[in-house]
Amino acid sequence: MKFDLSILAKHIPFLLEGAWLTLQACTLAVLGSLVLGLAIGAMRTSASPLLNRLAAVYIDIFRNIPFIVQLFFFYFGLPEIGIYIDAFTTGVVALSIAGGAFTSDVIRSGILAIDPGVIEAAQVSGLRKITIFRKIILPIALRASVRPLGSVFINLILTSSILSTITLNELTGSAKIVASNTFRPFEVYFVLLVAYAALTYSVSILIGMLHRYLNRHQEEGAV
Amino acid sequence: MISITGLRKSFGAATVLNGIDLEIRQGEVVSVLGSSGSGKSTLIRCINGLEKIDAGKITVDGFDVSKPRELSEARKRSGTVFQLFNLYPHMTAVQNVALAPIEVLKLPRMQAEAEARELLHSVGLTERADAYPSQLSGGQRQRVGICRALAMKPSYLLLDEVTSALDPEMTSEVLSILAALAKTGTTMVFVTHEIEFARSISSRIAFLDKGQLIADLPTEEFFSATGMALPRVAQFLSKMRKD
Repeated sequence: MKFDLSILAKHIPFLLEGAWLTLQACTLAVLGSLVLGLAIGAMRTSASPLLNRLAAVYIDIFRNIPFIVQLFFFYFGLPEIGIYIDAFTTGVVALSIAGGAFTSDVIRSGILAIDPGVIEAAQVSGLRKITIFRKIILPIALRASVRPLGSVFINLILTSSILSTITLNELTGSAKIVASNTFRPFEVYFVLLVAYAALTYSVSILIGMLHRYLNRHQEEGAV
Repeated sequence: MISITGLRKSFGAATVLNGIDLEIRQGEVVSVLGSSGSGKSTLIRCINGLEKIDAGKITVDGFDVSKPRELSEARKRSGTVFQLFNLYPHMTAVQNVALAPIEVLKLPRMQAEAEARELLHSVGLTERADAYPSQLSGGQRQRVGICRALAMKPSYLLLDEVTSALDPEMTSEVLSILAALAKTGTTMVFVTHEIEFARSISSRIAFLDKGQLIADLPTEEFFSATGMALPRVAQFLSKMRKD
């Protein structure tokens, strides 16, 4: 068999459309899982036993079920009880919810790692709880969490390929179509492989830059 | 006035403060002395509401610190400086000092930061105002910590072993600032091991032993025959002087 990428030339626009859809879904899911993760992570460290318990249950459920099962439940299961959501929205929501279970755990450890004395200093200066969370706890926890959050996000991008199973022609979905139309699965999936590697590699570079930028004052030694 | 009556505090089975009565009036500098584990730091942590008290009552200018609604008023009136500085690591010196005035006193950012710079200038940190805590030495960090407490213009300054984490040179940096503050009439509750310094700036000495206040005397009396007549005080002073 001859390895010939040129036969894919006329399918490139179609594959790029798929890549664009993957990018959109992942961007929204990263934001969604971050917002959910902040909320659940905050609940998980809150003093209220009820909120704490609820958050723990959420994390346990969504971390312990295969993503594809969650996805099928939302996409094929919910319509049975009259809830219809389009494939793209379902995909983004499912990714956000599953990702949120992982990001919340990262954020929770970020919060727990904060020196309690720093929070006490904020309390005695009269800051309100919500201000302490916004101005002290969150910025410190997020700075510490950039790298582990990055790995969660990269996993999210990889997992997004599963959205192709609910008729969403994102990158993997469109590659499948091209592969069956051209009968050249080797070339098609080779390109797919490179595309995902490039995508996640650039995300990890961005995460590294963000980490260095946000923690720039931590890395210099004391004067 | 800070008024403490019948204060009790235990951690599990260990009783740390066992019936403390103490009053600190405006303009006084009260040093709290006592050996390690005598409850000095816990006393400060009860006054600023970081520890829930088991019994008794603490009021700051009449506001009861064990009532959540009054605690915030009480906290506005006192500033705390910590042994381990506890600066906000993600903020510069100026931001550390200006945060509470902006958020609690609702000062405009420009004004709060200008006042913060002035405070930092007064403790010799003009050049370091935009540095992050990790870029400062221990003594510099503690000076920022003092400015952060002063920025709220508190009626009372609570100082919890503020030089214990510093080497002698840095200790003297910080002590000279506290001495200057004492001269300007700032009310201070000063928990310390620096006996000679406490003697030089305090109007009164409170001596804690095993959770009880066994002496509350004007400074001269404490360091005279009156204080020495108390066996625990005499023992403590002779031991500290030897070290």
